[in-house]
Amino acid sequence: MRRRAGESFLIGAVEIEVLEVCGARVKLGIVAPDSVLIERKETQITRDENITAARSVRQQNISSLLNKVAFQPVDASVKNLTDAAILTTKCT
Amino acid sequence: MPRIQTKCFGEVDYSPDAVFEFPAGVPGFEGEHGFVFLERPAAHPLMFMQSVSSPDVCFILLPVLAADPNYRLRLAEEDLAALRLPAGRQPRIGKDVLCAVLVCAGGEERPDPTANLLAPILVNLKRQIGIQAIQTQSAYSYRYPLTPQDRQVELAACS
Repeated sequence: MRRRAGESFLIGAVEIEVLEVCGARVKLGIVAPDSVLIERKETQITRDENITAARSVRQQNISSLLNKVAFQPVDASVKNLTDAAILTTKCT
Repeated sequence: MPRIQTKCFGEVDYSPDAVFEFPAGVPGFEGEHGFVFLERPAAHPLMFMQSVSSPDVCFILLPVLAADPNYRLRLAEEDLAALRLPAGRQPRIGKDVLCAVLVCAGGEERPDPTANLLAPILVNLKRQIGIQAIQTQSAYSYRYPLTPQDRQVELAACS
């Protein structure tokens, strides 16, 4: 299917209009029922990654992560900024 | 002083000004708007981003430069606005913003640890505000291998 700016197409009950084409970028207008979630694919990928990441937070995984990985040294200014964000209460 | 139940470290006291606001949450956890950052010396340089409202919601973070010392940000204007940073200029990591990546620590689902370099957590410390920025114009991987042998495999697959 080929579409120009101002033309639209349908996927079921969802209408997608090509509003603007500018170089490599395309601006789309979408008309869809409230029940249809519209998001960028990267958002969905990030959601799946975040859920997997949250599930992986277990003591044994943290220990094996620290054993397996040699982290790059971090610059002092970055360290200071990181320290500024850290909750000052020490947790043991 | 208020207390939170944390996922890994039991109960922790915190002061309200140590809570960072994530107005949009993060994808998959859109309802979590407040996080504190925790660390433990034994887990250096890892940090833990713990939800203040849900004990079970905690992420492992790594300062992005500890994963890739040459990391470059390519934030969209809407992300700069969400962080209340000036438009038209990329913030400097470690100076204007804290930039850290979410780590998948391994386990059954993903045996080898990875970090999401495509969608870093960014925090504007002056405004106490944070976002997860999904960088659409960036070539970074959302499953960047943290173990060197995995990286070599990935490079070999590209050649």
